[in-house]
Formats: sequence, structure tokens, C-alpha cells
Amino acid sequence: MKIITCYKLVPEEQDITVTADGNLDTNKAAPKINPFDLCAVEAGVQLKSLIEGCSITAMSVGGKALENPKARKDILSRGPDDLTVVIDEKFEQLLPHQTARVLMAAAQKTGFDLIICGDGSGDLYAQQVGLQLGELLGVANINAVSKISSAEPGKLTVERSLDDEVEVLEITLPAVISVSADINEPSIPSMKTILAAAKKPVTSLTATDIELAEFPALVELVSVIAPEQKARQKIVIEGDDEQQIAQFAEHLRKALN
Amino acid sequence: MMSKLSNIWVFSDIASRLPEMIAAGVALGEKVSTFVIGTEAEINAAFSYGATHVYYLGDKDSQKIIEDYSHTIAQTISATTENTLMLLAPTKRGKALASKLGVQLQAGVVNDVTEIDIENGVRAKHMAYGGLAIAEEKINSPVAIITLSSGVYEAQATDTTRTGEAVNVAFIEPTTAIQCVERRAKQGESVNLGKAKRVVGVGSGIGSKENLQVAAELSALIGAELGCSRPIAETEKWMERERYIGVSGVMLKPEIYFALGISGQIQHMVGALGSQTIFAVNKDKNAPIFQYVDYGIVGDINKVMPALISALKA
Ligand SMILES: Cc1cc2nc3c(=O)[nH]c(=O)nc-3n(C[C@H](O)[C@H](O)[C@H](O)COP(=O)(O)OP(=O)(O)OC[C@H]3O[C@@H](n4cnc5c(N)ncnc54)[C@H](O)[C@@H]3O)c2cc1C
Repeated sequence: MKIITCYKLVPEEQDITVTADGNLDTNKAAPKINPFDLCAVEAGVQLKSLIEGCSITAMSVGGKALENPKARKDILSRGPDDLTVVIDEKFEQLLPHQTARVLMAAAQKTGFDLIICGDGSGDLYAQQVGLQLGELLGVANINAVSKISSAEPGKLTVERSLDDEVEVLEITLPAVISVSADINEPSIPSMKTILAAAKKPVTSLTATDIELAEFPALVELVSVIAPEQKARQKIVIEGDDEQQIAQFAEHLRKALN
Repeated sequence: MMSKLSNIWVFSDIASRLPEMIAAGVALGEKVSTFVIGTEAEINAAFSYGATHVYYLGDKDSQKIIEDYSHTIAQTISATTENTLMLLAPTKRGKALASKLGVQLQAGVVNDVTEIDIENGVRAKHMAYGGLAIAEEKINSPVAIITLSSGVYEAQATDTTRTGEAVNVAFIEPTTAIQCVERRAKQGESVNLGKAKRVVGVGSGIGSKENLQVAAELSALIGAELGCSRPIAETEKWMERERYIGVSGVMLKPEIYFALGISGQIQHMVGALGSQTIFAVNKDKNAPIFQYVDYGIVGDINKVMPALISALKA
């Protein structure tokens, strides 16, 4: 079974700053693997341990950040056998419907039985790529997968944890599934896997290589702006002596009345 | 006066979310066409909430999943020629349908929308970067698809005398195979933190399960619901997922939010920033939570919680 696990590089949120005019400055924020996609990779690795003759290709589309050797090693140290990246300047700020189209072209090039995506990414959190990718490829696709219960050639049984109930689904392959963050606890790469990652093959493709057709701009990003915060009292009592706690309790009591 | 679209399509996979989805349709459109899967009572309910047209997809069918209806819905919408907007509940199923419809109808999709503007085409705002920012997107396609966050539009008063036009829609088989083999109710109690007036949030700083009991006692004492940060629900699994607060959890709007041992990272805080008054206990005076509080105390919860409990009981 040929598995593709998709991932996106997103800026480290901790290092994003808000400028005076409310814009986000991501210059100091190093690219990292979208945390939700770590769950997708881990799901692929666990699946591989269940069935014989499985291979995992990690796949990403984007701009220059994907050339970074450290970022490549990071994803490969999580368990995939190889990596395919599609890099183009115009993939720098793709919206989900466009990402899905680029991934479609790339996946058709490499072939697949199963594609695993995260439910969303930490930047725009659009929650669309896996579903649109599956729909564009014309294969079975579903989101919110919270457990892969069993796998056999050609078929997968999964659970979806929804607002009101749990669905157990049988999915005929080929398919694309998007997994929710509670599917697993991604393991931390060991020194051994980090060293092994350096030796794994990487294929770097261009838009021309994947014969990418022009894609539409169904949606445009107009702005990304930090919202204005409500003014707060910011009364902070330093210390937890009896008297200080009593003072704090007094504020609480007033608010409760 | 704001202009309206001539027709809005509405669908919710969860009955309780339908009234506010239809309210949004009424605010934005002349006609509100609602897809209904279920009984005649549910058709009538849709009319009573303000739907002018119901497109009836048949009875609930345990063999089908909601996503199987995407082709049927797409076909119905594509039969209309005007520019239009489809509103879906912001559930996992709503989002799955939205993306599938997006491809089938060549339509732009935006999820978890908190503000819609239809003045010049459809513009939608939603949270980005874990709550750090609001992204505004403009949908250029003739059909715009939006999953609408809850609480953006108020449900209107139900009026059972209202009726409308019902149209039967024939089911179109999906082209790919997903079979539902089992359905089971979710375990655990159902809580609605989003509606709670007071909420106590517990973070990793709580340290132990025993301490959780103390937090629960404090919470009960101030008449609050107990919530938590993500690690407590997902890593420790000490509370149900329904109780974690933040961008990927529940969004709160209480009068009081009281954070215990929570660092206050933006992904959590964004769920709490709608609170009128924020209290916090944290032993680290540099914890980001203190930037967002009305009243904070730099202290150890092992000391502060029991002392507060006795103070409040006094
Ligand atoms: C894409 C994405 C989405 C996310 N979505 C969410 C979300 O929806 N909700 C959410 O909560 N998180 C979310 N997170 C995680 C979030 O970034 C934080 O990691 C999380 O909120 C931290 O939880 P915490 O404050 O409980 O734990 P920590 O960050 O570990 O903080 C614990 C705090 O407790 C204090 N403390 C420790 N011991 C004591 C003591 N004895 N007395 C007093 N104080 C003490 C410490 O000083 C510290 O500040 C998300 C992360 C990402 C990347």
C-alpha cells in the first residue's frame, strides 16, 4: 500500500508579533511542521506497522521554505520513507482550493492508495485541503477521522468522532482521509531516526514537472489583522500570603455579586 | 438599508443549529431555501424558524452519511442561475459538505465564519493563526459557501403558523464508496460551556487529579461550569474534549472566567476573551495570562485554591 502523508510548513506562532497597525510580522517566526499534520504522519506510521508492504511518502507544496534542509530532515525523522516537495514562488501563499489542486497534480504523478492529511493548519485553519483534494481526485474522502481501527488491502475502517455521535466507516481505497488532533500523540523523533532521516531520498518537483493546469482564484485573501482587544483592569497581586489571597478573594466576591 | 441576495441556501446536520442558520438566511436573503433530511415535523419546524422554501431530501437513512448528499445538494443549487450563498452549520459534517460542494460547484469556501458582508460580493471573516488574527476573505465564485460560527446570528422566535413551499428532491448516488457500518451515541455527559455564565478553566498547572477535585469544589462554590485547556483534555485525558476552551475547542462568553494554572497562550485565550471579567491564578508572574486578566494573583494554586474556598465559604 502506498501512503502519502501531506504536511504544511507554518510559522511558529510563539514568534509571530503584531505590529502597531495590527498586521502580523512573521519574519522572526521559523517555519515548523503544522502540528495537526504531525498527527497525520504519525497515523501513517502506525498504519504501516499494521500492514505488510507499506511505503510512506511525505508530501508538501509551497515556497522557498521547503528547500530548507532542516525542515526536510524534520519531516523525514518522523517516519516517512521518502519526501516529495513541489516548490514554486507562486505557491508561497496558496489558499486551500489551490493547495488541493497542486497536491492533486503531484499525487497523480506519484500514485497512491491512501492520502492522509491533518484536519487543518495552524495558520489559516481553513480545514478544506484534504477534502477538496479527495473530491478533485474523484476518490472517497472524509474528515474528522479520530481512529483507524483496521486496514486491509483496498479497505480501511475508521471512526469519526462528531458533535453528537461516533460513526464507524468502511472506506474503499483509493481514498483521502483527514485526521483530527485527537487521533494520536505524535512521537518525538529519536537521535537514531534523525540521523537516518538525512539518508532518505527527497524528490523536488516544479509546477512544470507535475503538469499543473492554471488554477482558479475562487477565494482571495483580503487581509489578516489582529483584532482589537477588550481593555482589562490588569490588577495583578504578587504573592500568595493569607492577606494577598484575601484581597484577591474580595475582588472575586465583588464580581460574583 | 443593506441589500439582500435573492436566495440563500441553508443546511444544518444538527437540529439545534438550524434556527440560527435560518435566521442568518433571513437576514441576508429574500428567499431562504433550507435542505431538510428527516420527518414532516422537521419540514414544518424549518418553516416555523423562517425558511420560505424547503428542499426535502427524504427520511433519515442509517445507511447513508450526511456527506452522501453532496451531489444531490450540488445538483439542486446548480439548477439555479443567480449568484447565491450556501450557509452550513460549523460542524465536522458541515465542513466536509462545504468542501465537497466547493469542488462540485467550483465555489469558494470559508469555514467558521464570524462575520459576513454581502455588499460587494461575499466577504467573510474568520479566525486565523490560532486566534492571533482575523482573516478576511472575498469569495469570487457565483456560489459562495460558508460554514457559519454559532452565535453570529440570533435564532428568531418560532412561529408555527408560518408555512412555505416544499419540494421533493431525488437522491443522487455518490460516486465514491464510504459505508457507515455503525453509529453510536457519544460517551460522557453533554455540556454547553458556550452558554455558561461562569466558567472555571483548569490548566496543566493543576498538577494532579486530586487537585482537579479541589478545582471542582471551587467551581461549584462560585456556581461555575468546569472547563480546561487542551493538555488537560487531550494529553492527560482528565476531562472530556467538550470541555476544552480555545480555538480548536469551545468559545466562551461568560460573565466570569477564572483560569487556574493556565499559561494563557493565544490558542486558549481566544476562547476566553469574550468573557466580561477574567480572573487567574498562576505561579509565574511572567505568564502570558496576566496580560489578559482583570484580576490576577501570582501564587501557587495548591495554596490559593484551598484558601479561596475557605474565604468564599466564610
Ligand atoms: C494549532 C493549535 C491549536 C491549539 N488549540 C488549543 C485550544 O483550543 N485550547 C487550548 O487550551 N490550547 C490549544 N492549543 C495549545 C496551546 O498552545 C497551549 O499549549 C495550551 O493552551 C497550554 O495549556 P496550559 O496553559 O494548561 O499548559 P502550560 O502551557 O503547560 O501552562 C501551565 C501553567 O501553569 C502554571 N503553573 C504550574 N504549576 C502551578 C502551580 N502549582 N500553581 C500555579 N500555577 C502553576 C505555569 O506557570 C504555567 O503558566 C493549541 C495549539 C496549537 C498549536
